[in-house]
Amino acid sequence: MKLKKDVCVIGGGVMGLATAYYLLKAGKSVVILEKAEIGGGASSSCDDMILLQSKKPGIALTLAMESLEIYRGLSDELNADIGFYSHGGMIIIENDIQLRVMEDFVRKQVSCGLDVEIVDRNTLFKKQPHVARYMIASTYSKSDSQVNPLTLMRAFLNNGLKMGMDVFRNTPVLEIVQRGDHWMVRGQNDTEVECDNVVIAAGAWSAQVGELIGIHIPITPIKGQLAVTEQIAPIGETNCWTAAYIASKHDPSILSDRSDYDKKIGLGFSFTRAGEGNYLIGSTRENAGFDKATSFNALSRILEQARIYFPVMNNVNIIRTMAGFRPGTEDGSPIIGAVDGFPGLFIAAGHEGDGVALSPITGKSVSEMICGIGDHKRFEELNLRRFSSAVAEV
Amino acid sequence: MCDELICRCEEVSREEIEAAIADGAVTMNELKRFTRAGMGLCQGRTCRRLVERILSEKTNTRLDEMQTSSYRQPVRPVRSDLITEYENNLMEEQ
Repeated sequence: MKLKKDVCVIGGGVMGLATAYYLLKAGKSVVILEKAEIGGGASSSCDDMILLQSKKPGIALTLAMESLEIYRGLSDELNADIGFYSHGGMIIIENDIQLRVMEDFVRKQVSCGLDVEIVDRNTLFKKQPHVARYMIASTYSKSDSQVNPLTLMRAFLNNGLKMGMDVFRNTPVLEIVQRGDHWMVRGQNDTEVECDNVVIAAGAWSAQVGELIGIHIPITPIKGQLAVTEQIAPIGETNCWTAAYIASKHDPSILSDRSDYDKKIGLGFSFTRAGEGNYLIGSTRENAGFDKATSFNALSRILEQARIYFPVMNNVNIIRTMAGFRPGTEDGSPIIGAVDGFPGLFIAAGHEGDGVALSPITGKSVSEMICGIGDHKRFEELNLRRFSSAVAEV
Repeated sequence: MCDELICRCEEVSREEIEAAIADGAVTMNELKRFTRAGMGLCQGRTCRRLVERILSEKTNTRLDEMQTSSYRQPVRPVRSDLITEYENNLMEEQ
């Protein structure tokens, strides 16, 4: 099938759907080419956090805060329940070393405009009655929120279809060719799209798409495993993370006593209660290629942490486990923006664990870049060109 | 018959499944993600076939050509401490 569209979006995950939605809203005609099915990658094998506290002060935090503002009105705009809640978040602190790192981190975030504070044990135990009693303090931000990525994708898809979007599933892209001032994208099953713009929103698979054009997009799959519990009543007021993990990102010496196995799987701890009452317990950061299997060892390490931090979770049933491929970049920041030397080509990928949180602001911004609206200078530090290896030798 | 419950664990009705198909779901996994049918305690052991039949009717796809939704471990709910104790015992033995 041959078709003519303004924009061809490659990837039908949350990033591609969000980008398509904002493009359609701006009056563009859009087709999504998806290699498998909607939300088949990281977008449905993840948790539901819109976590501001973990963001580095700077563009990462600014974008997260802007995305959060969009989320507040998104259920109404999309006329769907996207499971958005603002219950706040806490990063629990085990010892003085972690406390010092977190104090410094919180100070920087406050100066960027985030409402976050360090609270004492009593406040922690009041908000988290089931947390381990040896904890000494916690951070608290009422801004940390959550959204259901599954219903979010449904809403973006449905709104997009109503605005005339085409979606081709089971359609891996085979060829991307620049023809004068437009593009030809050829997918499986004789799908051929002639378009002005191409957006690569293929998550962990973006590098493979880039190869078709001869550009090196340094995104690799980072495997993250999660355990899902049965639905239970809330055991605390907010979602939680541990300072051990957050602080170690900034000062790796904090976790020097970790076992080799924990280091290998990049063990971290996140603990969130989805809207329906299932707890999502994570997570790992593994370099394991595209091997999607969950492993008993890694999951038992994840659950062991839950046992230590929230002993009450011992008696809760695990009903499902999953692994997803977070699209990771070398410097931990996403790649957003136009590609030098290829007019009309854009990338919206590499958000690692922040794809769901950042999808509205990314989709909206990329749509504006394509439509030539607004000033997007601040995205320069997220452009592909920051990687010296970006353009392959031809 | 529209309020007939298809997924008992997550209490998803036929009407809700049909609404998700109308919203754009065309595969079993998409239906699962959009409605939660099959995401509860039994992980679709009861409703998977029923959902497949509805999707088959609505999309004119033959049942034997329909791709089933993905299966995830564990096969049945397992208490968290049974998993961690098993692993801890293994480590002590080594």
